[in-house]
Amino acid sequence: MEDRYARQQLFSGIGKEGQKHIREKSVLIIGAGALGGANAEMLVRAGVRKVTIVDRDYVDASNLHRQQLYTEQDAKDNIPKAIAAEQRLRAVNTDTEIKGIAMDAKADNVESLLEDVDLIVDGSDNYEIRFIINDLSQKHHIPWIMGACAGSNGMSYTFLPGETPCLQCVLPSMPDVGMSCETSGIIAPAVQITASIQTTEALKLLAGRWNDLRKKLLLFDVWQGQPLSINMFHAKKADCPSCGEQRDYPSLRYSFETKLEVLCGRDTVQIRPSHKKEYDFSSLEGVLEKHGKVRRNPYVLTCLLHDYRLAVFQDGRVLVHGTNEVEKAKTIYHQLLS
Amino acid sequence: MIKVLFFARLQEEIGKESMEVEKAGVSVSDLKKWLAATHHLPHMTQTMAAINENYANDDDIVNEGDTIAFIPPVSGG
Repeated sequence: MEDRYARQQLFSGIGKEGQKHIREKSVLIIGAGALGGANAEMLVRAGVRKVTIVDRDYVDASNLHRQQLYTEQDAKDNIPKAIAAEQRLRAVNTDTEIKGIAMDAKADNVESLLEDVDLIVDGSDNYEIRFIINDLSQKHHIPWIMGACAGSNGMSYTFLPGETPCLQCVLPSMPDVGMSCETSGIIAPAVQITASIQTTEALKLLAGRWNDLRKKLLLFDVWQGQPLSINMFHAKKADCPSCGEQRDYPSLRYSFETKLEVLCGRDTVQIRPSHKKEYDFSSLEGVLEKHGKVRRNPYVLTCLLHDYRLAVFQDGRVLVHGTNEVEKAKTIYHQLLS
Repeated sequence: MIKVLFFARLQEEIGKESMEVEKAGVSVSDLKKWLAATHHLPHMTQTMAAINENYANDDDIVNEGDTIAFIPPVSGG
């Protein structure tokens, strides 16, 4: 399909030269939800050489109003988003090498993916992973484009190591009460505008047009139409532990304990075992069938208990839906799975 | 007189987009504390601030005629 990028390279900001650069670049997208999916589709259509997309969740019916890569069938089958995204993106552009990875993005496993990555695009939904992306960006000198949205609000900023302030400079303490899609809802246009701003910045970076980058943090409310651009120059801190002279990348300190995490506003607790486990789903099905109805695909096994629903992933992670209480989730986990 | 703008969830919590207050000369962190106490805003310490569209640190001073915007973290995606 010789002409497929003709209109894109006709645009003076890209040009033939810019398109050539885009075709050589590799992008890592963290999160395959609304922002990750929208960015991924645009970047794959734009002809990026390689797109890797990572996500820990599976497709749910409540995603479908805004997460453009997924279908009703994906939700019915509980397909992990990374897998469903890979299938859809492959159908969109065979020029691009596409890799979907179903995993819980953490410092160690994301770092192992960075070898040939030119740019990281944030499609995540929490600050814990954004602080990890930020430290990895500084450590490996890879730019990243933050995006966040909730309600009718969106924001984006392009972090350039060695040039702009980093996330740690901007937010010295990690927010624990961010405005999320679960607490404030979300409308698809807020997603699409945020993702469009991110992809625009990505195209500038990938095409080698660094001088055209926005350099300001952009915030907007798509419902009320109240945009705000903030000059971030004053945010840079010389003693920043992530980008300052004496840096120790505080978000990259690994934890090897079993980790329990309440997924905010979702009535769900995630349990991540201390060591990678690989479940044999057919024998696990035999065990869990005694407790409730089991459904499975090659990636996720779900079991409908009386008051809860368990989702067990191949990598050993378990989501306990129906509770926000860590202790309760732990009890169920130990009773049924360990 | 300074003008205070509220964004995202803060706007919902406080019920308006902006207000004017006689607080010229105070630091950003003191203004945050005052707003938290007088308007029952529990998360002001995690809120980013910008004075006249420039990022502001907690010890920056808000001067007469300035517009200060408070932007709470948006986390969804």
